[in-house]
Amino acid sequence: MGHPSSLSPTPKNTHSISAGKQRHHWVERFLDGWAVYRKNTIGRIGMALLGIFALMALASFVPQMVDPMYHPMTGVDPEISHSTGPSMRHWLGTDFIGRDIFSQLLAGARIAFMVGISSALISILFGTTIGMVAGYAGKGTDIWVIVLMIALFRWPGVARVIRSQTLSLKHRPFIEAARVAGASHGRIIFRHILPNVMPLALLYMTFRVTSAIIIEAALAFLGFGDPGSVSWGMMLQWVWKTGHMFQAPYWLLPPGICISLITMAFYMAGRAMDDVLDPRLRKEEIKP
Amino acid sequence: MALRRFVLRRLVEIAVIFFVIMTVLFILFRLAPGDPVSRMVDPSMTPEDARLLMESMGLDQPLWTQYIYYLKNVVTGNMGVSFHYGEPVIGILMDRLPNTILLFTTSIILSALLGVFLGKIAAWRRGERIDTLMTIGALFCHTLFLPWLALIMIWFFGYRVGWFPITGMISPEVWIHPDAGFMAKALDVLYHMVLPLMTLVLIHFGSYLLVMRSSMLDTLKDDYIITARAKGLDEKTIRDHHAAPNAALPVVTSVGLSLAFSINGGALTETVFTWPGIGRELVFSVSHSDYPLAQAAFLLIAIVVLVANLVVDVLYAYLDPRIRY
Repeated sequence: MGHPSSLSPTPKNTHSISAGKQRHHWVERFLDGWAVYRKNTIGRIGMALLGIFALMALASFVPQMVDPMYHPMTGVDPEISHSTGPSMRHWLGTDFIGRDIFSQLLAGARIAFMVGISSALISILFGTTIGMVAGYAGKGTDIWVIVLMIALFRWPGVARVIRSQTLSLKHRPFIEAARVAGASHGRIIFRHILPNVMPLALLYMTFRVTSAIIIEAALAFLGFGDPGSVSWGMMLQWVWKTGHMFQAPYWLLPPGICISLITMAFYMAGRAMDDVLDPRLRKEEIKP
Repeated sequence: MALRRFVLRRLVEIAVIFFVIMTVLFILFRLAPGDPVSRMVDPSMTPEDARLLMESMGLDQPLWTQYIYYLKNVVTGNMGVSFHYGEPVIGILMDRLPNTILLFTTSIILSALLGVFLGKIAAWRRGERIDTLMTIGALFCHTLFLPWLALIMIWFFGYRVGWFPITGMISPEVWIHPDAGFMAKALDVLYHMVLPLMTLVLIHFGSYLLVMRSSMLDTLKDDYIITARAKGLDEKTIRDHHAAPNAALPVVTSVGLSLAFSINGGALTETVFTWPGIGRELVFSVSHSDYPLAQAAFLLIAIVVLVANLVVDVLYAYLDPRIRY
């Protein structure tokens, strides 16, 4: 039991049919899913964009090794004390105190991935657990769990979806079979229901990543960001607060384009994943 | 009267949720850096005066007594005095609320109309070039980062071509002019609204377009569309009078919810365009540690979101007679 990486919406108990080669089952499922995903142009574009951003995030460690003046936060070009346009020395120009915009952009990619993925993981973890328990426990605890969900943080959306999915799973024969066989509630939730809601949780994760990145950028833009790190939102705030948006398009454009593109990339990957998870979406056959 | 029972049940839920939000806010603001005592007490005060002041504010009481006072004050609408403005926060927020409502209601209705109109066409001509173009365009606009788009707008329309004002909501010289009539003032506000409005519509219409498109595709599969076609109605009537009204239902939901969230989602737009609304006040109060103002703003947003959810649910029952509670 338990194929967390499997990307199939069908109940996992059916795998007992192929019990002989159980170990490779999820690998096959994954490859099947990947084959569907690869056919999707939007998904391919999204994946390619994400790859570029991942490379940027990795490359962000390079500039400050070349020369300390390329450090995104503390490095200042000793010869420049104001914002300058792109040059060989600074590919995208410098900001108002002579820091390199290109290395800031790279550092921003690292922050975006970090914020996006970690906060999405946390909210998915909370949302999935709470949603499953709420859906499984049924009536009595419902309203209180919902109250908690709405009152706190950002995982409520996930929890609601997972809860409704769990509600429908709860009455499937394989759950009842497990109960008859004497499985405890915890075992049913985590060994039988979890593998089945996992694909949905993964899909929601891509959307959470997007919103986490946007929220971080928005907070940084408004001045509530972490002052010790450079993110794209922070870069935009510097452009805006120092009034450079009128004379420094080379500084204004890159961070905004990056935020928009990474959002779009995750969104596209999510849409393509939706295709993999829900076979009904693959062909829309209607005649207007 | 299933609907009445539904509304009553939801009202009880709203009350419970609101109570939880109030409590969470109370705890959060007690955890926030810079305790209220050091903010209120002037260093030049004698210790005796400081003690009296604290007693009069109830700050010498244990935390749970403060909590009871706080609940009582929220219920009676006494939200305290802003540190920065020195005025009751309720007055400040009520002063800003109409500005926010004006900007966001207009923008959301405009973008919903645009989204429904374009989404209808995209779904109708599904698979054709115009559909692909619209879907990609909508997706693109939807993923633009709002403050960035706002800055670009300001840079282009406010600076390069210089057509529209870039800050504020009114030009004082128009308003203090002795024979400025209502029309002149309204036009002035409209003139200032163009840029924020354009930004918001560009960002928001995309999601409405996508929702409308997919809902319309679903609707077109329904039996009554086949019936309409069998009756020999012309295509335009089927599209506009049979399919579109039913397909627009999900858009109504998301309009309702975005109206609710625009009260706070406006923080970015209002800050960039210095539009004097709730969102800008929220950002200002948080960054200047104006706790009473921030607390009241958060509670106001919570109420609006909760009530709007209920209104959307009820509205849904009216718009779609198939839905019963």
